[in-house]
Amino acid sequence: MKIYQNITAKNVAIIAFATTMLFTGCKKSFLDVPPQGAPAETVFWKTGDDATKAVNSIYANLRGWTEVSFAPIAIESLGSDETETGSDATDGSVPAMNMYNSFTATSTQGFIADFWIGRYQTVNLCNQVLDNIPAIEMDGALKTRYLAEAKFVRAYAYFRLVRAFGDVPLRLHLPKDASEFNIPRNPKAEVYAAIEQDLNDAAAALPPSYSGNDIGRATKGAALALHAKVAMYQKKWADVLALTNQVKGLGYSLFPNYEQSFRTNNENNSESVFEIQAELVPGNPDASNSQYSQVQGVRSVVGGGWGFNIPTQSLADAFETGDPRRDATIIFRGETTPEGDAIPNSVPNAMYNQKSYVPFSMYQSGFNEGCQQNIRVIRYAEVLLMNAEAANELGDAATAIASLELVRARARGGNNAILPKVTTTDKDALRTAIWNERRVELAMEFDRYFDVIRQGRAQAIFGPMGWKPNKNELWPIPDAEVQLSGGILVQNPGYN
Amino acid sequence: MKRIYTISGLLLLFTFFTTAVLAQNLTVKGKVTDATTGEALIGVTVAIKGTTTGTQTDVNGAYTLNAASNATLQVSYIGYATQDIAIAGQANIDIKLKASTNELQAVVVVGYGTQRKIDVTGSVAQIKGEEISKQSSVNPISSLQGKVAGVQITNSGAPGASPTVRIRGAGTVYGNANPLYVVDGVWNDDISFLNPNDIENISVLKDASSEAIYGIRAANGVILITTKKGSKNSKATINYDGFVGSQTISNEFKMATGPEYGELVNELNAQSIYPATGTAPFPDPSSLGNTDWTRQVLRNALITNHNLSINGGSEKSTYNVSFGYLKQNGTVETQNFDRYTLRIKNDFDVSSHIKVGYTIAGSMNNSRDINGDIFHQIYSALPIVPVRYADGSYGDPNDFGATSSAQFNPQVTLDYFNQRSKNYRVNGSAYAELKFAKHFTFRTSFGGDYGDNEVTNYAPVYTATFAQRNTTSKLTETNGKTRNWIIENTLNYNNTFGDHNLTVLLGQGAQSYKFNQTIASAENVPDNGNGYYLTQGNNFFIKDIDPGVYPLYSTVSSYFARVNYSYKSRYLLNATIRADGSSKFSGNDRWGYFPSIGAGWVISEEEFMKDQHLFNTLKLRGSWGKVGNMGVPASLATTTVSSPGGFVYVGPGGYTAIGSNVNTLTPPIIAWEKGSSVDIGLEASMLDNRLFAEVTYYDKKTENGIFAIPILASLGTSGGSIIGNSATFQNKGFEVTLSWKDKIGTDFTYSIGGNIGINKNQVLEVAAGSTAIYKAVSTTGTNNFNTRTVVGQPIGQFYGLQVAGIFQTQDEINNYTKDNLPIQATAIPGDFKYKDVNNDGTIDDKDRVVLGNPNPKYTYGFNTYFAYKAFDLSADFQGVAGVQIYNANIGSRFGNENFSQDFYDNRWHGPGTSNTYPSAFIAGGQNNRSNSFYVQDGSYFRIRTMQLGYSLPSAISNKLKLQRVRIYANAQNAFNFFKYKGFNPEVGGGPTVAGVDANVYPLYATYNLGVNVTF
Repeated sequence: MKIYQNITAKNVAIIAFATTMLFTGCKKSFLDVPPQGAPAETVFWKTGDDATKAVNSIYANLRGWTEVSFAPIAIESLGSDETETGSDATDGSVPAMNMYNSFTATSTQGFIADFWIGRYQTVNLCNQVLDNIPAIEMDGALKTRYLAEAKFVRAYAYFRLVRAFGDVPLRLHLPKDASEFNIPRNPKAEVYAAIEQDLNDAAAALPPSYSGNDIGRATKGAALALHAKVAMYQKKWADVLALTNQVKGLGYSLFPNYEQSFRTNNENNSESVFEIQAELVPGNPDASNSQYSQVQGVRSVVGGGWGFNIPTQSLADAFETGDPRRDATIIFRGETTPEGDAIPNSVPNAMYNQKSYVPFSMYQSGFNEGCQQNIRVIRYAEVLLMNAEAANELGDAATAIASLELVRARARGGNNAILPKVTTTDKDALRTAIWNERRVELAMEFDRYFDVIRQGRAQAIFGPMGWKPNKNELWPIPDAEVQLSGGILVQNPGYN
Repeated sequence: MKRIYTISGLLLLFTFFTTAVLAQNLTVKGKVTDATTGEALIGVTVAIKGTTTGTQTDVNGAYTLNAASNATLQVSYIGYATQDIAIAGQANIDIKLKASTNELQAVVVVGYGTQRKIDVTGSVAQIKGEEISKQSSVNPISSLQGKVAGVQITNSGAPGASPTVRIRGAGTVYGNANPLYVVDGVWNDDISFLNPNDIENISVLKDASSEAIYGIRAANGVILITTKKGSKNSKATINYDGFVGSQTISNEFKMATGPEYGELVNELNAQSIYPATGTAPFPDPSSLGNTDWTRQVLRNALITNHNLSINGGSEKSTYNVSFGYLKQNGTVETQNFDRYTLRIKNDFDVSSHIKVGYTIAGSMNNSRDINGDIFHQIYSALPIVPVRYADGSYGDPNDFGATSSAQFNPQVTLDYFNQRSKNYRVNGSAYAELKFAKHFTFRTSFGGDYGDNEVTNYAPVYTATFAQRNTTSKLTETNGKTRNWIIENTLNYNNTFGDHNLTVLLGQGAQSYKFNQTIASAENVPDNGNGYYLTQGNNFFIKDIDPGVYPLYSTVSSYFARVNYSYKSRYLLNATIRADGSSKFSGNDRWGYFPSIGAGWVISEEEFMKDQHLFNTLKLRGSWGKVGNMGVPASLATTTVSSPGGFVYVGPGGYTAIGSNVNTLTPPIIAWEKGSSVDIGLEASMLDNRLFAEVTYYDKKTENGIFAIPILASLGTSGGSIIGNSATFQNKGFEVTLSWKDKIGTDFTYSIGGNIGINKNQVLEVAAGSTAIYKAVSTTGTNNFNTRTVVGQPIGQFYGLQVAGIFQTQDEINNYTKDNLPIQATAIPGDFKYKDVNNDGTIDDKDRVVLGNPNPKYTYGFNTYFAYKAFDLSADFQGVAGVQIYNANIGSRFGNENFSQDFYDNRWHGPGTSNTYPSAFIAGGQNNRSNSFYVQDGSYFRIRTMQLGYSLPSAISNKLKLQRVRIYANAQNAFNFFKYKGFNPEVGGGPTVAGVDANVYPLYATYNLGVNVTF
């Protein structure tokens, strides 16, 4: 007992001190806990493997929701005469989609924001790579290629932005600090110049093709072909011709069967210039996240989809008599597809997009319908049509006719009774023929809307749907963005 | 290092304090014990009345005092009634003290100790364990509903689920808004593992001065739970408490019947293809069949609860061992939950100076789970589909024209959902306490919380209906691990110098929190009838459940101190300081300092109050303090690398490779989120301690609130926001508690109490300035935002278009114009007519207005108790008012799902039929936009519990060799009154998504019969 009575405060202080030191003695290490779950950026951007992962993310992002689903449907497709909303009137997204069909969307409408956000998310991923990879010590050739791939994707994102919004803030580097967050819109010409610079750099460094697991990455041909399209939107015909001629020299050829070229087993075929890769990865729905096919799939059937962005009668009527591309482009209610899917008459829409179609039997529960489908961004057929248009504009009707005929001949599929060769050498008539060919060859591929605006025919063709000149050439930029900028960003004319 | 020396310096200083001892004539000796338990009372003040001379009892309850032989001893002790005893020449006087009946004299548990309520300078409410255990709630915190002013409890109907608890409103947006639970010194985020029967008492700390000693995690309030222990020198007491009962849906929600549904779909069809063409889908609705899916899916469910405890003690030790078993069937078919709990508590007096003890608690629960979508399915399933056809196969919605959004037979969903969860938890603490140098107590304690949870989900291969089928079997196993520990050392000094009483507490602690959860899955796992094995499948996949959030690992190092000083028990002062260092923050912002100060004036002790008889005690108190909130994600200021599934590179032939990138912007620094609050209260015990009243005003601000503010989307971040210490929120209001207890004659006792909390929640400041933060919570369509957080308004208020009426005719649409242009050109009769608030001729987001507030303004409760002879009756009432709910269920439609009967009864179906409810085309056109129709009154009032008990007369129970037998019948939530048009007005949710009803568990009542036996 006595021992306890002799315990003094000092002794206790020593005990307390000792226990304290036991648990917090190495105070620094006790409170220094590394981030869990995800590594800190400070340990990233160190090795070639980090560079590979970062470039991987750029490609993976291209199949994401804002890249291939509702926002592109609204911004890049519904305004055209080839598609309309579709789906079911009771679906909550229909009214919003209709606003794009009727040009009544205002700057607060969500798909405008989604399209804007999505493109800039892509730009950020590319800028991360472009700003951080140069300092990594790694295989020099691979590093050069990675930088070129990022530039290609960044150019693709800016091209979609400039087409939709005109002047846009041009971010070619990560912001150094908060002072670089809020920047004004750069003039369209500067944006185009930056896109062309990126594509020149990309074409110079990218290989003409890949093998094995790398198939699907951006190639020299992809950079040149995208550059040709960018040049076409600026009416730089000599550039378009030169660039498409370069692509022609790279060994591409049209896939013999038009309908089959859009099926999953013919992905990355000889006609493919750039395709966004998508797969059903067993056990991993997160990596199988493309909804491109799902949102456009046949509504109300298992394995189909939501039935948005459906072909219009106007599109169905645009095909020349007997053109097999009509049936290859449009799933008609009641038909049986070449893959054997019978489309019941009870589905809500008369027509669906066949180019995004994946046979219903490939559907797996727990995954998005059609998540396997690659998205065809640039096909060799379009390169030929750009080549034809540029040649015609530059007065070379013979080249124009030859390139156009390649596309028509493939469509013909050996049946000489249909799709006669275009022979006119009249510049205007030939131009019209090429434009009509673009319409049917590239139908349902998200090209038509901006193509018609580029051609200067929008008022004539879209006017009856509500398209107004000096306003609808561009969509509004998101209102939330204008508000956040505190006046730095100025809205497009006609939208306030 | 410096801090440690400061502590030891203070320690040395205390040794200079001594107690004055004055010489007297007679030496009086004795022992002071509790009149009920016989336990020795330590530290009792034994004074000579009318003088300043006195002493305190030692650890054995003994005292020695020199006094004049004709003097009177005044014996006082916290929580006990003061006694005067004439010495009358006796040298040996043993004193038995009785516990006080004055609420303000009662002892309450506060942080790291106990105090008389009269000495507390902050807002502390204490609830006795029996108030908790007598209810049929499975989670002890659920039982606090309506008991404590200013505490809002939102219960979930899911078996074993924890309620949402808000003490004085939501004070954080980004972090965890739940309070901190401290169970016998161990810190917890959730206490669903705790058996209500094991609880001795619960203390709710509501103001910063009482919370600040828990600095780090106290911003949302602190709930202290003390578990039961045995008493010294008592024989083993065995208690059995058990009940059996039934849970039934109390406010059955009616959906449209088959024929009604047929009419509605015909109308929907006519509206969606307007003007109508073709034939109606159901030419003869009256011939349609009717399945009541609510009754098919829901059931009366059995609940059984058994608790057995043994406690007692010897001269030197006490023990308490308890075992609990609960079996609760869910009110949804197939769902069940059972829980086993074991708790052992032992305390030993190693010597008169050293005490050691431990508590160890284990719990295990198993459940068979249900598919969370089932309530949405009850709400949406077609009533015209039979459960099964005559041949026994499932009724197939596809045979009845169901759209893809209604392709489910809820019975199939129940039958093919195969998921079981198991939770194991071991939770305990051990301490050693050393008393020395008369006034000092040193205590060291260690606590741990180890938990494992396992969820096994197996999706078999089956084909039940057209859409309900699965082609690939999949086994998913989710495993979570909790590994937390806490160590604390405290030194307490207590002394009385004449009229001065001083208590000083110094403490130091360290804590570590780890949690991880991983998911492993495999496909094509055979269903061989005796378990499922990942190894039997293929396509293996494993990942952290949510790498952005988990795993969690954080550590805390803390130092704290408190001084309580009182002069003549009349003037009270309480000051605390706590310093916490957290691994969640870095650099100089790592340490947070949380001071508080409280003062009290016990007016009734003043001379001028001597002659009044109204007040037994009257106290005015006020406090100010700062507390922290560590319930935020770790490393917010560290940029991390994202590798979500969406970044996985895929190539031809199913090739995959990891993708990683940086897609966030992080703030340069993140500092502690701090709550600062002012609390002023008046407490009174009146009319012979029969009336107790407490009124409190509080103003609680969350400063440096961690908040994600929107940034320019062109920066390309994934969330479009940047996190920062960028907001200030405020909750301010009043709390009033009144209670009355009395006796009429000798046989009738009763008590009536009531409490109300009035709270106003407001955002005071956001770094984003006036830019609002919108959220789309469970709405359909893209960016259909229904909540908004903006300066000057409550967090997460409802926001949307204002409905002016329903368009009755096409003419009305044509005439609704601005400058001769129609405002809603695309509308059709039966659609919502929206107010063009900004008067620009179009209806868009710029026309939105405030529609409601999910944060209740009033929370209240009444509690009554009556006992007459052997009978006792109690009834508790509870409610909330001044609150709205966003009913997201009504508008959440994609096709021909069913409608509620309320909708059928009130819908527009032709000119003049309704000017408030739209047509069946409610999800079409612009009707699904967030608008005032979807925001409904969320007030409710309910009879929370009614209990009638009967205790057997002791003559009979003694014959049965039992000390006490009580039987009772109880009803919980039997009567609920509300206007809300949904399953249940109790809608929980985090701060920015609160009050949005999408798939809420139906409200149910529990009726049970129980028995309490003491052997």
